[in-house]
Amino acid sequence: MAPADVTKAHDYGILPRLWPLVALLAIVALIALSASFAPIVLQRRATQGLINLVAVVGLYVFVGNSGVLSFGNVAFMAVGAYVSALLTMKPTAKAVFLPDLPGLIAHAEWPTLAGGLAGGSAAAVVAFLVGLPLMRLSGVSASIATFAVLVVAYIVLGNWTAVTGGQNSLMGLPAYVDLWTALGWALAAIVIAFVYQETRSALQLRASREDEAAAQAAGVNVVRHRLIAFVISALLSGIAGVLLAHFLGIVRVENFYLDLTFLIVAMLIIGGRGSLTGAVAGAVVIAVLTELLRQIEIGFQIGQTTIGAPPGVGDVILALIMLLIILFRPNGLAGGRELTWPFGRG
Amino acid sequence: MEHFVQTLVDAVSVGSLYALTALGIGLIFGVMRLINFAHGELITFAAYALLALFGLPTPVMLFGAIVVAVALALITERAAFRPLRNADPTTLLISSFAVSFFLQKLLILVVGSRLKGLDFLPTLGRQIAIMGVRLQLLQITTILVSAVLLVALTWFLRSTRLGLQMRAAAEDFRMARVLGVRANRVIAVAFALSGILAAAVSCLIVVQTGVVQPRMGLQLVVIAFVGTVIGGLGSLTGAALGGFLVGAASILLQALLPPDLRVFREAFVFVAVALILLFRPQGLIPARGLKERI
Amino acid sequence: MTKRVPLLCVSGLVVRYGAVTAVRGVDLAIGEGEIVSIVGPNGAGKTSLVSAVAGMVALTAGSVAFAGEPLAGIALEDVVSQGIALVPEGRHIFASLTVTENLLLGATVRGDADGVRADLDRSFDMFPILGARRRQPAGQLSGGEQQQLAIARALISRPRLLMLDEPSLGLAPAVVDRVYVLLRTVREGGVTILLIEQNAERVFGLADHVHVMSGGEFGLSGTAAEIKADRRFDAAYFGVHMHETVGDR
Repeated sequence: MAPADVTKAHDYGILPRLWPLVALLAIVALIALSASFAPIVLQRRATQGLINLVAVVGLYVFVGNSGVLSFGNVAFMAVGAYVSALLTMKPTAKAVFLPDLPGLIAHAEWPTLAGGLAGGSAAAVVAFLVGLPLMRLSGVSASIATFAVLVVAYIVLGNWTAVTGGQNSLMGLPAYVDLWTALGWALAAIVIAFVYQETRSALQLRASREDEAAAQAAGVNVVRHRLIAFVISALLSGIAGVLLAHFLGIVRVENFYLDLTFLIVAMLIIGGRGSLTGAVAGAVVIAVLTELLRQIEIGFQIGQTTIGAPPGVGDVILALIMLLIILFRPNGLAGGRELTWPFGRG
Repeated sequence: MEHFVQTLVDAVSVGSLYALTALGIGLIFGVMRLINFAHGELITFAAYALLALFGLPTPVMLFGAIVVAVALALITERAAFRPLRNADPTTLLISSFAVSFFLQKLLILVVGSRLKGLDFLPTLGRQIAIMGVRLQLLQITTILVSAVLLVALTWFLRSTRLGLQMRAAAEDFRMARVLGVRANRVIAVAFALSGILAAAVSCLIVVQTGVVQPRMGLQLVVIAFVGTVIGGLGSLTGAALGGFLVGAASILLQALLPPDLRVFREAFVFVAVALILLFRPQGLIPARGLKERI
Repeated sequence: MTKRVPLLCVSGLVVRYGAVTAVRGVDLAIGEGEIVSIVGPNGAGKTSLVSAVAGMVALTAGSVAFAGEPLAGIALEDVVSQGIALVPEGRHIFASLTVTENLLLGATVRGDADGVRADLDRSFDMFPILGARRRQPAGQLSGGEQQQLAIARALISRPRLLMLDEPSLGLAPAVVDRVYVLLRTVREGGVTILLIEQNAERVFGLADHVHVMSGGEFGLSGTAAEIKADRRFDAAYFGVHMHETVGDR
């Protein structure tokens, strides 16, 4: 996997270097803009797609830079969602769903932005604590460990009935996330991810991706840089969780488990896990694809009959595409590269 | 006293199940450095085979489960994993994740996502008394079956030519090939063996829970994975031990924890695993000759 | 003088890994019963050459013929059944397996169980220290003992050509002496030997022919006596072509 090919553009002024960022922001903004003219149903889908984009970008920040696959980011989404929900839900609603909540939280009613940021921060804190032991593991062991994080989060959040409602849904969340809110956060996520991957820490982390032993011999503190990436990744994932919760208006622990993990991982793999462009591409492509598949499942009317695919076909096709990509184009659609300055050199 | 023995037997029984599952995962990891998420689907598909063959004599049902699991294992090896044989471990992990989800979603497409009841070998639910202690026949069966499989596997690996080749391949795949060990054969045998282990686990689980559902395998392997990591990736003894410890700990915690904390017992086990990994990242029984790539 | 078909015939061998050319067009012929040595410094391409012959790496160009038959496209697992055995750099014995098990693995391609058993005993005669430690895990052996094990393991496949990649690496001089004495015995048993070494001095006493390799090519070739006396040896060893290699990057 070639690291983001930034050093060459370095010699040609700042715009080529910022080009991937500018281009991605423009593309995403354009998509959102065109969706805003579409019927409300499509707008909601676009909003969902933008939320998924935040999640994929969050996952990319860690996976793309460290080379270690993480299955645990959906756990951070869950943390963000629950924390934000608990802080922003009306006390009356909380009394209904969570009668045993400690007083301070039970009476809290934070403004949505503060709640959202708190959610993201909580996820980051959890990631920091969890990452301290985890980042010492290498490669595949670390990935399995992140899987364990997902499962632990699912068990804890799903059984801590007093605080989270356990298996029941938390309803009545302020549903403030519309197309523009989601777009705003999507753009912010892309900026954060881009700025991060330009930092020295990220560069050193990417150096360790290819050959950990060599990087360590050169004095690179792989564990520390991995932890930094992990925490930032969790922050973005936490925000994505917040957005999802306040888009749907409900939080269910079941929504933050294996199916969502598969979706986010599939997006990153299909788009290309080596670059930010890949992450964004994955989100966009999958959003379009799921829309298409949904249409196929709904079916087309020909006269009296509706010809459609059985439900569940969409998931199978998505899994199949992911498998085909990993077999034939393992670096994904973007191939590990960022969008390059199209106007030549100089 | 009786309760203590019962809990102990329960712990050993559940531990054995997880040990068998972890062994199936460890076998593949040994020869291919692949963490096979799809191992869970082997267990699930074997269970659905039992469901499909229900009504036929038990040996036929068992045979069917084994055939399905082994066939599925070999198909996934040939189609999805052989092309990636020289890929880096993360790519292999991703592919096994994709295969696992593909199979699971395919199954849901065909049979639906709701669980189905399956009354398989209900006589094993009987209680028998051993030395004055009432134990479930199923628990004894589980322990015996696990012991037999373990002994058989050990015999195979230590005393047969193919087993020797597999052990060599697990330690140094390239050198084994230089000496003439056939890569395809060794890997196929590893997958076939993992299929047999998966089928055994599947049958025991189905008898125990009486239920078949598309997620059943995945739930098992999640815990077994953690067991293999803590036991030491790449060492079969480590995998079995790690799986056993994780399974047994889960039962022991269930008995020892206060009632309202019991639901969190798996979380406790995982946290304990994390702590162990903190001090011993290579696992309890690390494999000899394991390259740093992992 | 009749020209016999060489046992191993390499022509125009090129091995390239991406942008790096490790072997740039090498011709090599080894007659049956000879001991041929290739010497050269680190990075000269010796291991790549041997790996290509053994089928471990793909050759980019050129051809390899063994006993008159081309070796092209043969799978790695099949090379040993052709009659070529490799003792790779670093020995690569299976540390978790016993000495006997290591030897048995050398006999993987052989079908005759009785013959293998007889050869096992013969190995223990030839390498008494292995016989003494036959049930021990190979990881417990010393460096020199492991080298003997690696050679014994290669021999048990009854090869016609034995290739050794830096067998003296990491071994004490006295131990290396013993290994070289062993190699002479092996040759007397009818096995042709290709010996790769960094330390040229040592091979002069053992090899019939010596090739000096540097920068992916043979610089000097000749009998051991000729090379030993040749004043151009140092230059050839350290790379007359060195500056060319640097420029190629």
